[in-house]
Amino acid sequence: MTIVQRAGRVDAADRANGSDAASKPQRKRGTGARAGVVRGIADRRLAEVLPVLDDLGAAELRRRVAAAPEPRPFALRLAEPGLHLIAEIKRRSPSAGRIAADADDVLARARAYEAGGAAAISVLCEPQWFGGSIEDLASVRAAVTSPVLAKEFVVDPRQLDLLRGTGADAVLLLAVLHRGRALTRLVDRALDLGLEPLVEAHDERELETALATNARVIGINNRDLRTLDVDPERAGRLRAGIPEDRVAVAESGVRDAGTIRGWRALGFDAALVGETLVRAGDPGATARAFVAAGRLPDDPVEASRAPFVKICGITDEAGVEAAVRAGADAIGLNLVPGTPRALSMDEAVALAAHARRIASPSKAPAIVPITVDRSADDLNAIAAALDADAIQLSGDERPTLLTKLDRPAWKVIHLPPASEASSSTSSVNGSAPSGDGRVAAEAIKRAQAFVDAGAARILLDTSGGKHPGGTGRRAEPHAVAAVARELAVTLAGGLDPSSVGHALRASAAVGVDVASGVEAPRAKGDRPRKDALKVALFAKRAREARIDRPNLPARPTPVNAGLIDADGRGWWGAERSFGGRYVPETLMGALVELEDAYTALRHDPRYWSELRELLATFVGRPTPIYRADRLAALILDRARAAATGPGGTGSAVPGSLRLYLKREDLAHTGAHKINNALGQALLTRRLGKTRVIAETGAGQHGVATATACALLGLPCVVYMGAEDIERQQPNVLRMHALGAEVRAVTSGSATLKDAINEAMRDWVTNVRTTHYVLGSAMGPHPYPTIVRDLQRRIGDEAAVQILGAEGRLPDLALACVGGGSNAIGLLQRFVGEPGVRLAVAEAAGDGITTGRHAAALAGGSPGILHGTRSMMLQDRDGQVVEAVSASAGLDYPGVGPQLSGLYEAGRLELAASTDEDAFEAMAFTAETEGILPALETAHAIAALPRLLAGIEGRGSAYPADVLVLLGFSGRGDKDLASFGKWRERGGSASGDDANAVHEA
Amino acid sequence: MTETRGGDRIRAAFMAARAEGRTAFVPYVVAGYPDADASFQAAIVCIDGGADLLEVGLPYSDPLADGATMQRASAAALRAGATFDGSIDLVRRIAESRPGVPLVPMCYANQVIGGGDGREAARRLADAGAAGIIVADLTPDEGAPFEAVAAEAGLAVVYLVAPTTPPQRRRFIAERSGGFLYCVSLVGVTGARTTLPSDVAKLVREVRAVSPVPVGVGFGVSRPAHVRALARAGADGVVVASALVDALGPEGRDLVALASLVRDLRNAGASSTA
Repeated sequence: MTIVQRAGRVDAADRANGSDAASKPQRKRGTGARAGVVRGIADRRLAEVLPVLDDLGAAELRRRVAAAPEPRPFALRLAEPGLHLIAEIKRRSPSAGRIAADADDVLARARAYEAGGAAAISVLCEPQWFGGSIEDLASVRAAVTSPVLAKEFVVDPRQLDLLRGTGADAVLLLAVLHRGRALTRLVDRALDLGLEPLVEAHDERELETALATNARVIGINNRDLRTLDVDPERAGRLRAGIPEDRVAVAESGVRDAGTIRGWRALGFDAALVGETLVRAGDPGATARAFVAAGRLPDDPVEASRAPFVKICGITDEAGVEAAVRAGADAIGLNLVPGTPRALSMDEAVALAAHARRIASPSKAPAIVPITVDRSADDLNAIAAALDADAIQLSGDERPTLLTKLDRPAWKVIHLPPASEASSSTSSVNGSAPSGDGRVAAEAIKRAQAFVDAGAARILLDTSGGKHPGGTGRRAEPHAVAAVARELAVTLAGGLDPSSVGHALRASAAVGVDVASGVEAPRAKGDRPRKDALKVALFAKRAREARIDRPNLPARPTPVNAGLIDADGRGWWGAERSFGGRYVPETLMGALVELEDAYTALRHDPRYWSELRELLATFVGRPTPIYRADRLAALILDRARAAATGPGGTGSAVPGSLRLYLKREDLAHTGAHKINNALGQALLTRRLGKTRVIAETGAGQHGVATATACALLGLPCVVYMGAEDIERQQPNVLRMHALGAEVRAVTSGSATLKDAINEAMRDWVTNVRTTHYVLGSAMGPHPYPTIVRDLQRRIGDEAAVQILGAEGRLPDLALACVGGGSNAIGLLQRFVGEPGVRLAVAEAAGDGITTGRHAAALAGGSPGILHGTRSMMLQDRDGQVVEAVSASAGLDYPGVGPQLSGLYEAGRLELAASTDEDAFEAMAFTAETEGILPALETAHAIAALPRLLAGIEGRGSAYPADVLVLLGFSGRGDKDLASFGKWRERGGSASGDDANAVHEA
Repeated sequence: MTETRGGDRIRAAFMAARAEGRTAFVPYVVAGYPDADASFQAAIVCIDGGADLLEVGLPYSDPLADGATMQRASAAALRAGATFDGSIDLVRRIAESRPGVPLVPMCYANQVIGGGDGREAARRLADAGAAGIIVADLTPDEGAPFEAVAAEAGLAVVYLVAPTTPPQRRRFIAERSGGFLYCVSLVGVTGARTTLPSDVAKLVREVRAVSPVPVGVGFGVSRPAHVRALARAGADGVVVASALVDALGPEGRDLVALASLVRDLRNAGASSTA
């Protein structure tokens, strides 16, 4: 009753304002003409509804509101993970005229939308222009179980009562029609009625007005309602202007599912789609396609990067329900006497039981009591009473306490709170001022002591509050980032739905914890309670913070930063001594342009989301990992033979080998090269360039680039050494078939390096129209970063896959290396994992000692090649020495700057395989596993026995049950001609090894 | 720009040409092409034909800024046994026999800097008599360490601007360039062209307006008409390379043809600066 009375008051107030809600504001802004179409509709609507509302009278409206069905949650539904479809029903529109037949069955359409997965149905109520009616609203509401949005031109506050009374769950309010105060009153009145207002804006000014209200759901309409013009990029531009603690809806201008996917990537929670759906032949199928496009990517790599979310300080069953519905990973129950959220033991036990009752067993949150400075006996008793999954220690406990606890311990480490001035200066790659460095170093030391004592989780909170356990304030971002870089930490303190995404993007933290940031406003003295929408949005913003941002760190990388990423000028390595940009001045403009474009794209979720879709549907990612047991047994035998044979060290060879192949040979076009080519082809489009050039050695990069260009309709010229054309004929034919022009390069050694020279010359000449799709993680800055970023998926996927299969990361990750794109793509994920050894197999050609090889790391020195300073083969005059290898893909005299830096720092172990070794490995791999590796890949396989025997690499022993991940970079069809010649020369898989082993 | 002894000599050579109402003529020889002696003879022909400066190209295995002519000459020189030591000897011989003309070697970064800072190469070139050095794939962005060691040796580091260089960057490069500024006339690699780009005069005027050092224009310059056009546009000098190598013929030994082209180009620059 009170609600209705209050609504009545607002009603009266608005009416006392005369036609505030109608024409006056527009005229006052001097926008009478600009108000255009929407004003005309609104004026007419006012004339229509006034007599209706007057006829009904306040009492009847109150009766209808009271009799209306309970509102269905609208905002909360849109706050679930991903982007949701609000499907609209209208018979016609002022922009498009009649779009649905009169006979169109509105209810069938609504049911089709719902069956297609729409989260809500929007129903036009305006009769004149849209052919809608309040009756449509009522019948649709009755026909579906989803919430229904009343798409109405609200010009009189009493319409809100009428709409709620008709069953509407949400209502559209147009910022263009109302001045700030009037809009605020309409929003508050709708909220009081339980009618969720969606406040729609079209430009910055309207958005400001919308955000000044209490509306929880904000829409951006790409269509200007004054002119009906659609600007499809507008929603994207304005998204950042909507704080993350509001539900954001994009409206109008949907071309296809790609538009929806882009909006999802940009962080919209919903898309309101009208015309495109209404015009679709099969509305259910179209809705289903749009719903699918709005879903979060089903990508195990993204899942592995999602942060852990803990909702702390829950005080009642509704709070438990909100946390469970939001998919929280943990629920914190506060047992610290005297603090606002403190529970009695009985309350805590009841809430823990409630959580376990309502959660599905597979997704049940961990139950964690929060304690301060309790004795071990107390803690064990608490844990037993709650059947706690872990115990949080938020006081001044000592590491020795952990040995006495029965359950896993989560330890809170405190940092001093940020001063107001410094809290706004965080950045992803910002360097920490020295004061923060000290603070961070101390926190790391304290945390490490608890990790060493067995703490299962470290939470990073701010110190100095009134109560022990947390202050609700943020710590200095630089210090937080520095700690999160070294240790797996969960951020706590001062987070809320609007800040959690940024906090996760600014540090490598593995989790977030929130208490006060997701609570409803309360009167002094009341116990805090969770706000379900805030809890849902917090979890959503946290989970989605790093999706489609693969280059943001999501876990600690406790190694020198120069081994992980280039600095701002493109220099790599612990001493920043590799990389840079050594090119003719003519190319500098293009490289700066490329750098600027890529800097913008590197963390642009729309780019990575588009690329992921192509990688999934076109390339076939993720590629599988395959456990090659027969090959492993053969390799182990060879390792034993090598260890005890001539030149052997006699060191212990592991007793067992579990060998996983990361199957890039199964990617479209048969090698990892497509990952980079496709990414750079998309980049070409973003750069506005109209022509693509590439170089190729084995032909795989040429084929991949030709493929990507065919897909995107770009003309493509591939430079290829004449010698490589000879030995890689099948790939030349493939490039021709794909419509690319292959230009033979006869200068120099007529191999890969000369093809690069010629491509660079073409680029120097055509730089204004042409993008050079460089094929390896080398060349002038920013190429090493671009190619590495595009290839890192190999290792990102493999890590998740091997964790899934084995429950741990590999002891050794191994790849073949030429320029290094496949190697760094596999290894990048593991550089910051101290437990994983990294090795590369170089091409030893005729043997390192013959001088006829392609081993730029083992047999080279630092120099400048193809625009970058890196390890390379050269003579004392700095002339480039021609590489020698039967493998065209490894036949290159340099290796990229990041791998050079890893090698210099001792993080990379080296092996080298001769042509003969590689052909032999091709043979025995094919014979034992039924997989024909590329000759390049075979170098890595051939090297593994020597690495395991300690003859190559660091030499130190591996675990007895060694787990190895091998980058299976490509398939060997292209090498069959050379393989056949090797066979003719008498080559074989060393007698009967291949068959003998497997009888054992 | 760091003041260097070599830079002073280069600027003085440009000034002297201007005092005579000429555009400075900067021909180019490839060290060791077709062999050490023949390249010395070619250098003498160029200087005696009126060169104000002489560029000495150090042959490189991977000359990615160069077109077909220079690639061919470079490869031939290396096949004939050209080395860095040999290039140093050539510079010294030329400097000793024609001390008045500043010599400016042109090379690639890996030949002088490589994995180090270039100190040794700069010292040896300066000791042999070089006044400056042009590194085709070095821009001021990465050039500071080399500039420092070159300055210690008294060697000017000459940088290049290109038609693709944005206006504000032209000034940045010009202010860092020692001796003179090398203005690349076209978007592309080295090599003789029948015509120069139509907007080259505008480029030269704009570059000259922001450069504190003389501006020499090169890439594609091969005919007297090109030289006259560049002189009219205000170029302080013209660099001619591939056309002269072409003039030497397929064997690289036609000094008569070389002398004839040198004379024509030199005269074209002398007659048209009014």
